[in-house]
Amino acid sequence: MSQSPLTVIHLSKHYQNKKKSLIVEAVSDISFQVYSGECFGLLGPNGAGKSTSIQCITGFFPPTSGQVLIEGYDVHRQPRQARTRLGVCNQEETLDTDFNVIDQLILHASYYRIAKREAYQRSQKLLEQFGLMQYIQANVETLSGGMKRRLQVARALVSNPSVLVLDEPTTGLDPDVRRMLWDVLVAARQKGVAILLSTHYMEEAQRLCDRIAILHLGKILDIDSPDRLISKHIIREMVEEEVRPGVIWKRKPNLEDVYLKLTGSRLGIEGL
Amino acid sequence: MSDSLWNIQCVWKRYYVAFLKSLPYYLLTTFLEPIFYLLAFGIGVGTLVGNIHTQGRILSYRSFVFSGIIAQTLLFQGFFEGGFGGFVRMYYQKIFQAIAITPVTLSEVLWGELLWDATKATVAAEVVGMIGVIAGHFYLESLITLIPVCFLGGMLFSAMGLASAGYSRTIDELSYPQYLLVFPMFLFCGVFYPIGNLPRILQYIAWIFPLTAVNSLVRTLTLGLPFQFMAMGIMLAWTVIFVWIARYSMIQRLVK
Repeated sequence: MSQSPLTVIHLSKHYQNKKKSLIVEAVSDISFQVYSGECFGLLGPNGAGKSTSIQCITGFFPPTSGQVLIEGYDVHRQPRQARTRLGVCNQEETLDTDFNVIDQLILHASYYRIAKREAYQRSQKLLEQFGLMQYIQANVETLSGGMKRRLQVARALVSNPSVLVLDEPTTGLDPDVRRMLWDVLVAARQKGVAILLSTHYMEEAQRLCDRIAILHLGKILDIDSPDRLISKHIIREMVEEEVRPGVIWKRKPNLEDVYLKLTGSRLGIEGL
Repeated sequence: MSDSLWNIQCVWKRYYVAFLKSLPYYLLTTFLEPIFYLLAFGIGVGTLVGNIHTQGRILSYRSFVFSGIIAQTLLFQGFFEGGFGGFVRMYYQKIFQAIAITPVTLSEVLWGELLWDATKATVAAEVVGMIGVIAGHFYLESLITLIPVCFLGGMLFSAMGLASAGYSRTIDELSYPQYLLVFPMFLFCGVFYPIGNLPRILQYIAWIFPLTAVNSLVRTLTLGLPFQFMAMGIMLAWTVIFVWIARYSMIQRLVK
């Protein structure tokens, strides 16, 4: 893990309200690097600034300040060179419903100037890997939600990117589909892809990510490995949790406890 | 080919392939509608009217209306493809957003969209022109000289549609430009009668709207009516303005 295919430097994104009287700091001075073969998580609840960060990092939204480098190319000043090396799976479904499953991937590859034959071979491999081979000629509209999400992640991989960005890829998915996607991400990581993953699932972040940035109100509160975040912020070996009135369980601390601890002063939660 | 042109042709090709995949549907919507207008107004009303006087010339009404339907086809094909088609692709299918995170930029996606919409409108208008040639109203060579005017006109009305899509919060709101802009142009900008028949004040108003200019240029090329320099200026000006508004509205809407 020596190279850094994705570098985010002091990235900020501010919005003004319609009357231009109030500035909202959606993303505030975030910096991190994602190394080859690393899965880096942006962890935070809805409204923490994850999606805005991702939109700036992929070059879709211009940042108010700061820089994003993909393999050394500035994603906003050199979008073509940067995005050639980038695969993105948006949070919302963006599959092209005018095309069937295989054509969907070949079409997407054409935007990266990948020849049709090469694109076809890569697409077949990906569909096998994602368990979608039997739907190769299916219309996208006929696929289930889980299949569509798998196809969207497969589409992000068809260009063999060195950086893969996924915005809440498993939201709303069944546990078995979620696990399948996790396996695919682990395989991509083993091939040396740098993965940036935004999620609000603590379990997903803890299980998949080598390092995690805890995002709250657009700011990164801490960056570290899941284990170190827990050991750094939660001193106790076991935490107590009231699961029902009067019923208290003891369990090992997890990232949720870290999140509550780091944001607790604002939420008024103490005692972890 | 520069990177940008390559990317724009990639987007154009996406539309072309999608068009071929749904050819029966597109044949119906692209070609059948103008043919219905031709039959209704060219054959039906044309039989009643006979000849008309316009710009110092006497023409058969059927010839007059056939060339008017070329311009009307550009208006309807361009506006509905750019407006309703553009809204569906932007809001429901999210195709613009999906392509604009690849090496193809959003600006290139929008150029690809406009160029495809203009191409489709041009082909539809040329089909109407071909029917006019077969029916003996126009010369075959006029179809070739028509291509640049049809393409620019198609681009103008597509951009008008795409701009409307960019500013519409819901697909229903596209009814505002449809009923306040497209249908009045269809009825008052010289498709079915010379605008010289209108009261002078309405003639001035008609010239503000771009369909009058497109109609005038199409009639110059197909029927040999006098060239009106003003028409060329108005069409070019509206094309530049609407292309700018279309791109601005879409980029403002999608890029926060």
